[in-house]
Amino acid sequence: MSETVTIYLDDRAIEAPKGMNLVDACKLHGVDIPVFCYHPKMEPVGMCRMCLIELGFEQRDRTTGEVVLGEDGKPLVRWFPTLQTACTQVVSEGMHVRTTTEAVRRGRKDIIEFILTSHPLDCPVCDKGGECPLQELTMDFGPGKSRFLYDEKIHLAKRYPLGEQIYLDRERCIQCARCIRYVEEITDDPVLQFYERGRRLQIISTSEPGFDSKFSGNTTDICPVGALTTADFRFGARPWELDSAASICTHCPVGCNLTLNTRLDRDAGGRVIIKRVMPRQNEQVNEIWICDKGRFGHHFTAAPDRITTPLVRKGGKLVEATWSEALELVAGMLKSAGKAVGALAGPTLSNEDLWALRRLVEGQRGARLGVWPPTMTGGDLIAEVGVAQGTNFTDMGKGACIVVVASDLEEEAPIYWHRVKVAADRGATLVVVNGRATKLDRYTRHRVRYHYGDEVATLNGLLRQALGDAAPDIDGFDQLRAALENAPAVDAAAAQAIAGATDLVVIVGGEGLSMAAHGALMQAAANLLVATGHVGRPNNGLLAVWPGANTQGALDMGFTPEDATHIIDNAASFEALIIAGADPADEDPRAAAALQEAGFIVATALFLTPTAELADVVLPRMSFAERDGTFTNGERRVQRFCKAIDRVGESRADWQIFQQVGAALGQGRAMPTPGVVMAQIVERVPWYAGMDYPTLAEVAPQFPMVGGEDLYYGGTMYKNAGGLGRQWAVAAEQASYQARVRVPKAPAAPKPGKGELIVVPVRLLYDQGTEFYKTQLVHRRVPQAYVALNAGDAARLSVREGARVRVRLAGTEVEVAARVRASVPEGVALLPLNLGVGPLPHAASVGTVAVAEAVGA
Amino acid sequence: MIGDMVRGLVTTIKHVIQRPVTIEYPEVRRPVQPRFKGRHWLHRYENGLEKCIGCSLCAAACPVEAIWVEAEVNTDDERYSPGERYAKTYEINYLRCIFCGYCEDACPTEAITMGHMYELSLYVARRRDLHQG
Amino acid sequence: MGRGAPHPKMKAGRDVAHIILRDLDIPDIWKFDVYVENGGYEGLKKAVTLTPDEVIEVVKASGLRGRGGAGFPTGVKWSFIPKDAETTYVAVNADESEPGTFKDRQIMEGNPHQLIEGALICAYAIRARAVYIYCRGEFWDLTHALDARIEEARAAGFIGENILGSGWSCEVYTHLGAGAYICGEESALLNSLQGLLGQPRVRPPFPAQKGGGLYYEPTVVNNVETLTNVPWIMVNGADAYRQFGTEQSPGVKVFCVSGHVNRPGNYELPLGTTFRELIYEHAGGILDDKGLKGVLTAGASAPILPGSAEVLDTPLTYEDVQKVGSSLGSASVIVLDEDTDMVWAALKMVRFFKHESCGKCTPCREGTFWMERVLSRIHRGEATEGDIDLLDEVAAQIKGKCLCALGEFALNPAAATIAHFRDDYARRVSGVPESTAELETQAPIEAPVAAGD
Repeated sequence: MSETVTIYLDDRAIEAPKGMNLVDACKLHGVDIPVFCYHPKMEPVGMCRMCLIELGFEQRDRTTGEVVLGEDGKPLVRWFPTLQTACTQVVSEGMHVRTTTEAVRRGRKDIIEFILTSHPLDCPVCDKGGECPLQELTMDFGPGKSRFLYDEKIHLAKRYPLGEQIYLDRERCIQCARCIRYVEEITDDPVLQFYERGRRLQIISTSEPGFDSKFSGNTTDICPVGALTTADFRFGARPWELDSAASICTHCPVGCNLTLNTRLDRDAGGRVIIKRVMPRQNEQVNEIWICDKGRFGHHFTAAPDRITTPLVRKGGKLVEATWSEALELVAGMLKSAGKAVGALAGPTLSNEDLWALRRLVEGQRGARLGVWPPTMTGGDLIAEVGVAQGTNFTDMGKGACIVVVASDLEEEAPIYWHRVKVAADRGATLVVVNGRATKLDRYTRHRVRYHYGDEVATLNGLLRQALGDAAPDIDGFDQLRAALENAPAVDAAAAQAIAGATDLVVIVGGEGLSMAAHGALMQAAANLLVATGHVGRPNNGLLAVWPGANTQGALDMGFTPEDATHIIDNAASFEALIIAGADPADEDPRAAAALQEAGFIVATALFLTPTAELADVVLPRMSFAERDGTFTNGERRVQRFCKAIDRVGESRADWQIFQQVGAALGQGRAMPTPGVVMAQIVERVPWYAGMDYPTLAEVAPQFPMVGGEDLYYGGTMYKNAGGLGRQWAVAAEQASYQARVRVPKAPAAPKPGKGELIVVPVRLLYDQGTEFYKTQLVHRRVPQAYVALNAGDAARLSVREGARVRVRLAGTEVEVAARVRASVPEGVALLPLNLGVGPLPHAASVGTVAVAEAVGA
Repeated sequence: MIGDMVRGLVTTIKHVIQRPVTIEYPEVRRPVQPRFKGRHWLHRYENGLEKCIGCSLCAAACPVEAIWVEAEVNTDDERYSPGERYAKTYEINYLRCIFCGYCEDACPTEAITMGHMYELSLYVARRRDLHQG
Repeated sequence: MGRGAPHPKMKAGRDVAHIILRDLDIPDIWKFDVYVENGGYEGLKKAVTLTPDEVIEVVKASGLRGRGGAGFPTGVKWSFIPKDAETTYVAVNADESEPGTFKDRQIMEGNPHQLIEGALICAYAIRARAVYIYCRGEFWDLTHALDARIEEARAAGFIGENILGSGWSCEVYTHLGAGAYICGEESALLNSLQGLLGQPRVRPPFPAQKGGGLYYEPTVVNNVETLTNVPWIMVNGADAYRQFGTEQSPGVKVFCVSGHVNRPGNYELPLGTTFRELIYEHAGGILDDKGLKGVLTAGASAPILPGSAEVLDTPLTYEDVQKVGSSLGSASVIVLDEDTDMVWAALKMVRFFKHESCGKCTPCREGTFWMERVLSRIHRGEATEGDIDLLDEVAAQIKGKCLCALGEFALNPAAATIAHFRDDYARRVSGVPESTAELETQAPIEAPVAAGD
């Protein structure tokens, strides 16, 4: 963006970054060029012809290359005889553009009239009506009256399901291909196509199930007419009737900025409910996109089976109680428990909740603060060498290298996947290190495969190859070098790519890893970054794909996964356990039994989960939509979310609950608002210094501009008015930082015996997670429980596609359907988590797969 | 003085023979002007389907937010209006309504008009009674 | 206005020596042996003794212009290919779909080896290693035959590795389209070759540039007839070629004559032959000796010309036809006699364009649809005087706004017939058409194409 050129926009000289699209350049200087097919995030196609302008270039002398001057001393401009499309031009020196002449106005009017000849003009019943680019541009530039006879209009399908989530209105479609291009170019799910030609040109979906993309909802935002609508919001409300509240998605660690659109609803008993979830622009986090899980997975907030009052166990049964009764009981039990108090904090607890919980436990001199689920660790390494402030995947291109280890990013954190993929398109080198093929493999030549269990050795090998003979002067390097001696040679080309990168980000997932193994992998990844000198600068550092939306915040607030494991392992020694927004009994095979042994259990929950059913007191907590708070995303960006709807029943926010219990225990007065809690965090947690609510709510102009009066440009996603959040600085960014590497200590890899396989539990985006599964719309996308095998293994075990098989692993046995997939490596069985067959271990383990009938007989 | 008395009597007699300005409501009803804005009617097409498409433009035009509309999709089994969309909920809060008639102007299908009825003390059982015929 | 020299033996009538339609002179020249006996593949042999740049220079000097319609100088087009390009392609446009054009078919049927040879010379000139011949879908039988001809050439060593010992290798492939007129547009053709939807691309980048060609590599796209000229030019030299035609339009051209003439067919004549000569001498005059009402010079694409004396005396060259308000295009001359109803003719052509519009850009997709609606209303006699102006305005509204040439062509049938034959329109809107029976026989009204699903 450093080099600029001068162009003349309506006879006014402006500077624009070299190579920038003309529409964008005009936009930057406040001149709106109307567009339908052009979108600032996609390549131009010049289809809709709406962006017509007058274009000319300064004449240059052929021999000297000098600009030819006219008699008046001004450069002579050679204008194109016809109008040109602005979107297909990039700015170049001496370009002259006119956007306000009569010819341009006429051209725009003509195009609008053409588009409207086949448009049904059913704005009153169109969901886009009120926020429709075509409406807007018709008002601005249209002829006001069409010469096309209304009776001669073409009539097409009004409600054509591209998939069960997205409907297409073929009459409204103006064939701009934004949706096709989005899924083809950006998300690489080429499931939409044009069919036929001419006036019969139609959008169709070519996949089964229809519109099989995890980002399908985004097409409804960029559709410039009401052709694409979500089944979730279809006829849900008129846009002007909606209220909006800034929020943050709770489904994964990306922390996508959302706007929750709410409205009163008679079917919900006259309550205000979330009508739709829209992306809110944050170019550092989610740009202008969100995944379908975030968009459609909001129905749990209004689910009828929410717990609405406190429940207290009386005579072995949970019965309704008042808050004062329940709080009194909890306070009494905590008091008698003394120091033997532990806490498990779930993935969607806000920082305020976590802080209040910590204060409550520490006030009782309890020491164990666990973060649930305890599958990944290494918060200390993130604090040391995490991606530096200002890291932005959008800025990564040629020269940058992104290493993704042990993660199926698309399933675990779709927007990370989205942004990494687009960075790879832009020229960033991608190194995918995984035990199996994932979709990310398509965008790289560097696919490093390991046997499950060899993750750490593989990264060590890459580091050894990347370093060659270099011996950086880093604390602990000699020991590491000695340890690396035995590391295997992995992939010289990938190592070369890492060694030659100017910027390096390592993204570490936890697929198939025990917590200890993950810790070692994080250390190996940190070593890779530190030893190659890629820490402490923007676009460099470590990024963990945490299991929860606010796992990072929990780590920051002093909660650890090690404590969580300790609590489960030693449940009997805890006289009181506080389980906040977590459901161990449903997720961990050992937890259900362990929790039986624990003393008094108080759970805060949205639903009567298996954990809640084990508890002695269940307190109804508020969902994220009902309250204010902050989450810290995987990139350590602390972001605010705001209350959008009224609380359900008598539910209270976790921070309130813990403070009220604390107050009853004499720990001091409860703080009135989450902002005050945050103020305390700001004071006590050094990383969060300066991150008070007003600071977190600060916004800055972003490019491309969306959500203004020009919805035709970016789409209907919301402009960020709720705050861009703040990222905290890691140790490597401080001047006092001492680079340090340590030898990672990986536990032994599982070694399958004869007839055994390594069973690897994997995370799917669409699963039966308690909250997500409340959305009926996605049920068809959630697969039946299955295990995926390689064809060779399947043949050996006489397992056919679709057969019922019993999978035995780590003391658990489940019966699922078999899938035979070439992408599964030999000797491995992939077992997706959370598909309704009960708790499963998170780590890969040795197991067996056998046809169910054989075992049953 | 007699003159004054006579004048008074004349006035009295004049009023005695004049027709009264009051009427025997409710037995007698005064006709209203053709464009009188009384209670709203939602209309149907001749085939019985509702004209209202649940577009909410009346609600948007309403200066006192008296109208509340929620739309839903017609299905072949359960069809209320000819197109795809119908008004699942249509409520007018007569405590708020100021009978301005903006809703009539805003309606794209001439589904809502204001009738001549001004006797609003009645129970409205939603859909059935609000629709004419 | 320089008239071209007459074709060498054209006037002699019997033993005419053709450059392109040599099948008329030599029976069975489609056979490999016959072709080689008659000097076949000599052009290629000569070409590989020259450097690629020298080959381009020869073609440049010959003044050969693209015969597909645009008339762009062929040698110049070849020279646009970057010299340092690693991968280049030749795409042969055999998607002959312009109404009234049937020259490429005759060339590929009658003289296929000359096309293959021409394409190979082009490939050598731009150092391409692959030639793709994109044939229209209806040419399936012809394409199978062409495959056999390619095999013969390969067996003789003209295709394959190290051709004629030059160290240069090249393959020739045929590819069948799926029946879309738009795929004759070069960038849509490239998309279709790549297996994408046949829609034109935004230019720049042009096909000759990196990013604009086949598989986004620099590509020369030439018409069948253009390339068929090349072997003759290589053998006989640029000057020999320039003895035909005019200064700006050198060489010979195959004119496809159809419509109301006594002898429709392909006529290979020097550029510069007048309409009068073509229609009255070569094509044997108008059927039943009727008067001439109008001439379409390039199938449906170019504006119709009235059958005036001025038009008849216009030489068929790129520059002269342009002067009278049309363009030579692919030189498919459709002759319409005095009884032709121009509204009917325009409707037929507009229907064609509406049917063939790819739908990518708004003005063409909606404009052709709109024009068809208005024009069929006029044709049915249900329109008013204002509808004629509306039609004219819609046509004007399309002009200059389209992504590719199809849209710009699509407005010609309506705009030009209104300009020259407004009376025909006026008759239709004045009330009942003269004879409904006439209407029914003249216009097979197609059922409106059902859109949607």
